[in-house]
Amino acid sequence: MKKRGAILVENVVFLILNLLFLSILVLFLVKQGSGATVLEEAYSKQITMVINSAKPGMVIRLDMDKGRKIAEEKGFDFGNSVIIENNVVYVQLTPDGRYSYAFFNNVDVSSRALKDEKGKYSGTYLFTVKPKGGNLNG
Amino acid sequence: MDKRGTDKMLSIYWFLVLTLVAGGVFAMVYIFYGAPHDVREIESELLAQKLADCISKRGVIPSYFFVGERFNENLLKGFTERCNINFDVEEDYGDENEIQYFYRVNFYLIRDLNNPVFSVYDGNLNWESECYIKKDNSKEYQRLAKCTESRFYAVDSKDNQYLIKILSAIGKSKKNVKQ
Repeated sequence: MKKRGAILVENVVFLILNLLFLSILVLFLVKQGSGATVLEEAYSKQITMVINSAKPGMVIRLDMDKGRKIAEEKGFDFGNSVIIENNVVYVQLTPDGRYSYAFFNNVDVSSRALKDEKGKYSGTYLFTVKPKGGNLNG
Repeated sequence: MDKRGTDKMLSIYWFLVLTLVAGGVFAMVYIFYGAPHDVREIESELLAQKLADCISKRGVIPSYFFVGERFNENLLKGFTERCNINFDVEEDYGDENEIQYFYRVNFYLIRDLNNPVFSVYDGNLNWESECYIKKDNSKEYQRLAKCTESRFYAVDSKDNQYLIKILSAIGKSKKNVKQ
């Protein structure tokens, strides 16, 4: 009876350790894929490609909800996450780092994070493409 | 007693295998996410598309391309700006702050596809030569510019047919290739 109990405890410990190991592995993979640095780069390049193929007058919506969650976790204002200046897209999700990528399309682009009815960021960014020197509010 | 000893040995062996697997996964993930996304190929395609849109309006080359029967040589200056393209956008690319873009547009008459009747180019000429180097997956070659060659047909206002070849190249290896 005593021997049987010992075997069971060993098996349970072995199983728990295995589960722990697999959980850490999965957590690591998920963390790596949705890390701020990776997302900042992905968003800035994605926005750049969209702007390069855009024409003046276009209004583009981009789902950046993963980025919003990270920005809120890190205490960074999502409304300032995307800045477009002098043909360069800057994306910042944490107070420390940001990523920039340049576009060649000679247009002015304004960016704005949309809010829901409660006044919270919805996770969507709106980009308005205008001719260079054109009115961005129209 | 022997059986329990074997079981313990098996457990140690099992954890050794798990550690090896974990090490492999960590290494692969680190390599995958450590390298930047290379978007230069898409970018060079977009540049070629933008130029094509500028050169041909519904298959017809705009009249400002010509002075009488000949191509307008004045187009060579300011063609990039006329096409709403801005190459002067770099902030931290390249070691010597070089322009990271290049394009060349060649116009051929249908009767002579070997000699262009008109050619216009802009950007960093270094990238043009890199377009003709045969590339493989080695690290050194990955740092070379990514290029797109596209071609299409268009006519002028007098219905002369032209073959138009666009070569576009993007450098930007610092932002797209692991250093």
